[in-house]
Amino acid sequence: MSRKVCIIGGATTPFDYGPTGFESIEGGAAECVRETQQDVPGFSLRDLDLMIYSHFSVHFGHQLAPEWIIHDHLGLVGLPHYRVENGGNTGGSALYAAALAVMSGHHDCVGVIGWETMDSVSQSQGSEFIAMASDIRYELMVGGIYPIYYAAMANKWMKDNHVTEEDVARIAVKNKNNAMDNPKAQWYRNDHTYLTVDDVMNSRLISYPIKKYDCCLMSRGVAFVVVCSEEYAKKVNPDHYVTIDGMGLSSCTIRAGDRLNNPTWKEHYGPGYPEMTEFGACRNAAEQAYTMAGIKDPLKDIDFGEIHDAFSTSEAQIYKALGLADTDTIAKFIRDERTSMHGDIPMNPGGGLLGYGHPVGATGIMSTIEAYYQLAGLIPKKHLSTTTEVPDAECGIVNSHAGTGTSISNFILRRH
Amino acid sequence: MTVTLTMNKKNKKFADAPVFTDKKDYRPTGVTEVGLTFVGHEISEDRTAMNQFLHYDQLYTIRHGWNSKFFIGLLEGKIMGTRCPKCGDTWVPVRTHCWNLNCNLEHTDWVEMPLTATVHTWTVAGWSGRSSLKRLPIILVYALVGDSKVAIANELHNLAPWDVEFGMPLQIVFKPQEERVGAITDFHFEPADGWTPSPMTPEKERIKQLVEPVYDWVKTLK
Ligand SMILES: [Zn+2]
Repeated sequence: MSRKVCIIGGATTPFDYGPTGFESIEGGAAECVRETQQDVPGFSLRDLDLMIYSHFSVHFGHQLAPEWIIHDHLGLVGLPHYRVENGGNTGGSALYAAALAVMSGHHDCVGVIGWETMDSVSQSQGSEFIAMASDIRYELMVGGIYPIYYAAMANKWMKDNHVTEEDVARIAVKNKNNAMDNPKAQWYRNDHTYLTVDDVMNSRLISYPIKKYDCCLMSRGVAFVVVCSEEYAKKVNPDHYVTIDGMGLSSCTIRAGDRLNNPTWKEHYGPGYPEMTEFGACRNAAEQAYTMAGIKDPLKDIDFGEIHDAFSTSEAQIYKALGLADTDTIAKFIRDERTSMHGDIPMNPGGGLLGYGHPVGATGIMSTIEAYYQLAGLIPKKHLSTTTEVPDAECGIVNSHAGTGTSISNFILRRH
Repeated sequence: MTVTLTMNKKNKKFADAPVFTDKKDYRPTGVTEVGLTFVGHEISEDRTAMNQFLHYDQLYTIRHGWNSKFFIGLLEGKIMGTRCPKCGDTWVPVRTHCWNLNCNLEHTDWVEMPLTATVHTWTVAGWSGRSSLKRLPIILVYALVGDSKVAIANELHNLAPWDVEFGMPLQIVFKPQEERVGAITDFHFEPADGWTPSPMTPEKERIKQLVEPVYDWVKTLK
């Protein structure tokens, strides 16, 4: 097989919303690199031989090719660079591109920087910008925003799988409360409160069955991660590097209604799948990653995950797409709190999108960094306590997700 | 010599341009595209942070091209679909080439669809984008029109939000002709004639409880 891909370090800025404490995008990127250098003194900007930039929308950034500002600011003139954009899966796709570059043998040390500044417009304007990633000719003005499309999918999924509003509320509570142990998480920095299932149930209706606290946060934030060869990892961070042992990237229709009766899915998985309810691209990308990493039983072989909980309902749907439960077992799987910190496969110990935040281009990178911290034993240093540390974690999954499930990537990371 | 060559190129015609004669302008009064303009700023008390306000509005031309028949159909009160002559799959929203890989992007035929549909899934929205807030609460359904293989999203009117049901039969209702703009919002769904909602259930009560504050909130919007 092609050569091993490793991660030796990374960091995010605090995730926030509004006018407080913002450095600038290039200032934030520089601070992420500085923090990485504090963790990994052997890592130098001179070692990078490619930069990949992960950024979703110039509508939010009010600047075309903003990666050129960051790249120049970091003093990396002369180094090859390009930007990856793939909706909510921009971060995962940038990581995929970086891993391919190392795997090919053409690059040895690749920096990935992701960011979004969603607070440059109002919340409702921001929702409309994101909705422009739906098919605007058919979907933009009807209902209008992504949570509504997700709610329509989740409503049927929950009925088909006997999952209740309270069940998914537990997921929202879990992730937002996990974020209360993470000083960089937006929920910790802004709302700063512990939630109960009742709080979620009583929060305002967004789109049935999704309520305010079932939703992730609009954010501003920057993230940086170093993807490299094992030779380089052994040189600069021999005791704290992790390997990307598996990865998968898959796709589905832009309009959720178009995945009914889709002939290609039918060929893959038989009739009736993914319906309008399951994330077929997530299942497909997971199968690729599991095969590559030799994962036979994900529930046994994987210790934890950092996954794309844009909505509490999506996290539940993702459990199923990752093969952790099926139609008969999913409700019990959630009720038994298998994915909480005391469960056998904690999900989103870092807070996830619900707690840490969702600055689109930075999100998948943030998830990767949190998974890296768990596997490298850095949680006691990075979080406020060890309550959100997965003890003796050997293997984690990172999931990044776009559109209505339109592009999804999964990565299997292992402690070296 | 060079000049002559350039002129020859200019005279060459590759395709006939459409002649646009049926023109409508329904932009709200006072909306103009001024381009990029700095319109203000704010500076913190300690003068360490500055925010600048950039106004940025653009007029887009959505060139519907080969999909135009669907949108012209809306103006005429019709739902146009497409159908693959090879495999028979039918779509609303339309596809101008077949999605079946075995059909090798076969060009599809236009078909007029019946104005009936079935609910595949639904939600009741209590929040939306800036342009939709005053219409809340909104019942959004994904519905299958006629024998379409795919579902299309649109609003369901003329029904209490808690009464929407999976599989319920729908009719497609167009706005009055003079209000149509050739966009998806020219039509909405309504329950089919003769259909009546089932009695109240705990779930319906729950939706009612969630939706009632939305009615009050919308009244406070200017
Ligand atoms: Zn065909």
